[in-house]
Amino acid sequence: MKKHLSAKTKWLIVASILLAGLMTVTAATNRGRPGESLVQTALTPFRSAASALVRQIERYYDYVFRYESLQAENDALKKQILTMEEDVRSADSLQRENERLHQLLGMLEEHEDWVPASAYIIAWEDSSWRSAFTIGKGTNSGIHEGMVAVTEYNQVVGLVTAAGPNWATVTTVLDSALGISATVASTGYNGVVEGALATGSQGLLRMNYLPTDSVLRNNDQVLTTGSTVYPRGLIIGYITDADFDQTGVAKYALLRPAADFDDLEQVFIITDYENQ
Amino acid sequence: MFKYFHLTKLQWQGILRWSLYGLLTLLVLLLQTVVLSQLPVWGAKLTPLPALIVCVCVREGPEKGGLYALLASLLWCLSGADYGNLSLAVIPVGAMLSAVLCRAVLTLRFLPTALCCLAVTLANAAVIFVFKLILPPTIALENLWRVLLPGAALSMAFVPLHYLLVKLISRIGVRDAL
Repeated sequence: MKKHLSAKTKWLIVASILLAGLMTVTAATNRGRPGESLVQTALTPFRSAASALVRQIERYYDYVFRYESLQAENDALKKQILTMEEDVRSADSLQRENERLHQLLGMLEEHEDWVPASAYIIAWEDSSWRSAFTIGKGTNSGIHEGMVAVTEYNQVVGLVTAAGPNWATVTTVLDSALGISATVASTGYNGVVEGALATGSQGLLRMNYLPTDSVLRNNDQVLTTGSTVYPRGLIIGYITDADFDQTGVAKYALLRPAADFDDLEQVFIITDYENQ
Repeated sequence: MFKYFHLTKLQWQGILRWSLYGLLTLLVLLLQTVVLSQLPVWGAKLTPLPALIVCVCVREGPEKGGLYALLASLLWCLSGADYGNLSLAVIPVGAMLSAVLCRAVLTLRFLPTALCCLAVTLANAAVIFVFKLILPPTIALENLWRVLLPGAALSMAFVPLHYLLVKLISRIGVRDAL
């Protein structure tokens, strides 16, 4: 077999290894692989087109195969809306009071300073060990590294970890690489939320460093505490389980993420906000 | 038209063949990053690109195929692949060794090619897995049989289609050469 390894093949093997080494060294020193931005920029139109095509196919599929279930769901929703309209009418006065309380708490003022940029998802990370996606907007639209991606319901989606002229990579909260300072809304316990991928719980989040005497209930809402990166009060997830960690000196909680990652198509990047 | 660009018909067919390989690579990359990345099967995301690279390399030989493997892996790496730097070494080397092995010991038929595809896909996933086990944020060892092995095995579902398309493309220009 040795005679089949020509000089050219040997050179190509050496070149592959050297190139891999070079990429690793430059990526470690320059925060990114050389040429990555160029390739991502060139791929963005293809990814946008493919992503739009997939969305169209999904809509057509839903229309053809889920028509009956959608109709049944629609009927049920109509009934629900009628009930809710009744509730809304009775809750109108309470709503107004609630709004005033919100204003008193400064919640609305806090959110008014946000400058969001909407973007569609054009590709998802293909590795089973990471949770990230690429959006079709980048530095040309004012999106830069370190900005937070949220849904229209103020649910945290992730953080922009790389950006080019017409693309940006958002690492989601499900990825173990992100750590978010968080608080349990009902009780005020503080901790750090990370993706639970590393612990084998895919699709869940893990809130670490909770006090041993903390009382945690299912469906308790977990919010961001606010930092230079994450605005205060964003919804991260809901508690589904809790236990003592390996050390036994702290508790951890498993959370169901607030954002629905399965049906996520569009996100909003908070390009500016006042850190209070 | 061939004379206008001072190229022979055979050279034109060569350009067409490699352009089709390039187009196929781009399509599979888009399929992998836009469609399959949203549809994990038992938590594993399918990666058909390494298998395609091996199919082309085995068919075209370790020299021309090796250069293609290096460029295709570079494209994947620079498109933002997780630990793409490692794939840049593992896939071209694996593909070239597969091409040499198939020509020296095995044949260019489907089964040896599919086995080489599986071996390279597994090797690539395993090397990344080992690094993920060591470097923070680390992943759990149980992911080896829960995610890695099913993911690599399910990615092989694309090999028959890869093999067929690559076999068809590789015929362009061959009849004239003979």
